Amino acid sequence: MNKIIFLLIIFCTNSFSQEVRSTQSLNLFSPTNIKKFGDYLFCQHDYLRASIEYEKYLQNSFNDTVSFKIGLANLAMGKFENASNKFLSISQNSVFYNLSRLEYLQANFQTGNYDTYRDLYENLNLNSHYKYFFKARELYSFSFLFTDNPLPQKKIFLNTFPEGEQNKIGEFYSWKSDPPYKSPVTAALLSTVVPGLGKIYTHKYSDGIFAFVTVGILGYLAYADFHANHNFRGWLFSALGAGFYGGNIYGSAASAQIFNAEIKFQFFNDLKNFLEEHNYFVPLINFCK
Amino acid sequence: MKYIYLILIFFTVRQEIFPQDALASQFNYAKEIYNEGHYFDSITEFKRLIFFDSSGKYNFTANQYIGNAYKAGAKFSNAINYYTLAEINAENYNELFTAKINIIRVNILRRTTNRAFQLLDSLNCDKKFSNKKKEIYYWKGWAYIFADDWQKASGAFALTDSNETLQKLCEKVDKEEYSVLFAQIISHLIPGSGQFYTGNYLSGLLSLAWNGLWGYLAVKAFVADRIFDGLMITNFLWLRFYSGNLQNSKNFAEEKNLKIANKALKYLQYNYSGTKP
Amino acid sequence: MVNKLSAFLYFLLIILFISLNLFAQIENSKWGKADYSYQMPDRFEHRDYSFNEKNPERFVLKSVLNAYWFFISDVDGNNCSFSPTCSHFFLLSVKKTNIIQGSLMFFDRFTRDMDIFGKVDHYPYAQNGHYYDPPSLYMLKKDSINYIPPSVVVKNE
Repeated sequence: MNKIIFLLIIFCTNSFSQEVRSTQSLNLFSPTNIKKFGDYLFCQHDYLRASIEYEKYLQNSFNDTVSFKIGLANLAMGKFENASNKFLSISQNSVFYNLSRLEYLQANFQTGNYDTYRDLYENLNLNSHYKYFFKARELYSFSFLFTDNPLPQKKIFLNTFPEGEQNKIGEFYSWKSDPPYKSPVTAALLSTVVPGLGKIYTHKYSDGIFAFVTVGILGYLAYADFHANHNFRGWLFSALGAGFYGGNIYGSAASAQIFNAEIKFQFFNDLKNFLEEHNYFVPLINFCK
Repeated sequence: MKYIYLILIFFTVRQEIFPQDALASQFNYAKEIYNEGHYFDSITEFKRLIFFDSSGKYNFTANQYIGNAYKAGAKFSNAINYYTLAEINAENYNELFTAKINIIRVNILRRTTNRAFQLLDSLNCDKKFSNKKKEIYYWKGWAYIFADDWQKASGAFALTDSNETLQKLCEKVDKEEYSVLFAQIISHLIPGSGQFYTGNYLSGLLSLAWNGLWGYLAVKAFVADRIFDGLMITNFLWLRFYSGNLQNSKNFAEEKNLKIANKALKYLQYNYSGTKP
Repeated sequence: MVNKLSAFLYFLLIILFISLNLFAQIENSKWGKADYSYQMPDRFEHRDYSFNEKNPERFVLKSVLNAYWFFISDVDGNNCSFSPTCSHFFLLSVKKTNIIQGSLMFFDRFTRDMDIFGKVDHYPYAQNGHYYDPPSLYMLKKDSINYIPPSVVVKNE
């Protein structure tokens, strides 16, 4: 009986010590564990800490996946320059070469460097058989809609895109080639002839009506006062009327410029919404399944 | 044979007399960085501890520290997230209460005091924490301070029995503050009087003068049967200055109260030695 | 039974942690202790009565405006639905352009202020709740127009 008790004690102590020894021997800062922790942080969207852990890992080991993930982490944080540097550091022999070049291009597009995007696309020699190459090609065409460079021919432009999207993109192309801007000179001239008409031309209807009414009332008051020999009041209302009349002409020209800025803003917004809805910038690999 | 067993037990146990647990040293390391004020790095190390701690032994404490670090960096949403995790991992009622109070403190700091009140009320109704009433009232007082209700804050501190300093401070602020309602009422009756009440004498005089002038001219026009003139003066001039008088009486009272409250808040932040949010 | 319960609790914990993290602030750079204040922000507007004018024309204009603000505008309440107010808009317009162009901008602004119907559809909001309408939009320089859509609250005025 005593033997059994002693054996039991030894067995229990050993089992317990196995567990203690496993945490004793646990090196939280070994390269493997640093990478594991980095992967965990990456999937928790704690990108800054993940990239710091991955950089620590790369000090001791070389790993393309980790470099690529550092690039993705920097992209997610909006650090496009750091992301670009990381993507460019991935060698041609790597499995991630094409993807990294694609992400690098996308980083430039997302920061609004459309001219740079086109230059890089033309010089990068992406493998045309690569399955995501079409994305880069579509973004190349799209970049023309964001800049003031001459547009390519409509047919060539639209053929870059799948058939289902060509209608919508055709509308964008038509807008870009002939935007429905309003002329400030026309607006000013219209307001010279009829106060407020220039504002109505630029779709500011209530502003136009108020301008017409104000200039009209002041003009009438000036006329009525002069007619009744109230010269001081006559000149006062004349001066005010002239001021509002001049202001209405000036304001109509300014209103046309603001209208043009508004429709341009709306156009770019529609373009960005289209890109988001069609998942142009969704990460191509999900490391956190 | 007995001796062989004894020797075997001795060698087995010897390794466990001075254990060097990796998680315990990681905890101490993370705590050291936290105490040095490197909050960002301390969060990383506590997260590392949580990740490798498969038994969850450090979950509560580590999440608490992460919450504290985020709070020190004024990242209040993140702080609340981690205090919530600490609350989930609490192993006893004291730990649970600590985590809940930390969430309340962060809500007070970021001035989401309605949420703080909701949480305090639920703690108050919870029978588990019936022995923590004084602490609950203490934080209720602080919540009222940050909600700018010094009278109720004073009432809450009175229930804690031991915070006379805070109670007296809140009473003093409440007495010093101007009554916005009173300022508005007297301004309705006599234009400019609200401004006099708050010490803005020049503004009060101007308001009284303008209202007097336009009122006189309007009445004179109506008496002389110049109804249109009377209506124009009343609508575009007299009413404009009268509503301006009401606006100013309210704004001046609120502005003065803001200065009084901020003076007290500055004292509490930099000179009060008790527990603060 | 206990194992199933603990597994379920861990599952809930993971779901809660994921959902909590969805609303967490993403950290872009290392940070240290923040210096936050208990004091409430000063939300009251204060007039700038100072004189920093280099030429006599602007000195006269500022004097007239200061007198207007002190004797009339500060007493008749906050009646302008725009930010900056019409008088302040006039001052800024003259500073950015000249007295004639500034006056024309002011007359146009006054007309737009009288329009009680069309403001919601055309102007974004300033922090103080008024419609945001800076002079930079009306200088007849395309490049100075920073268009902000209506109903958006402008953060850096």
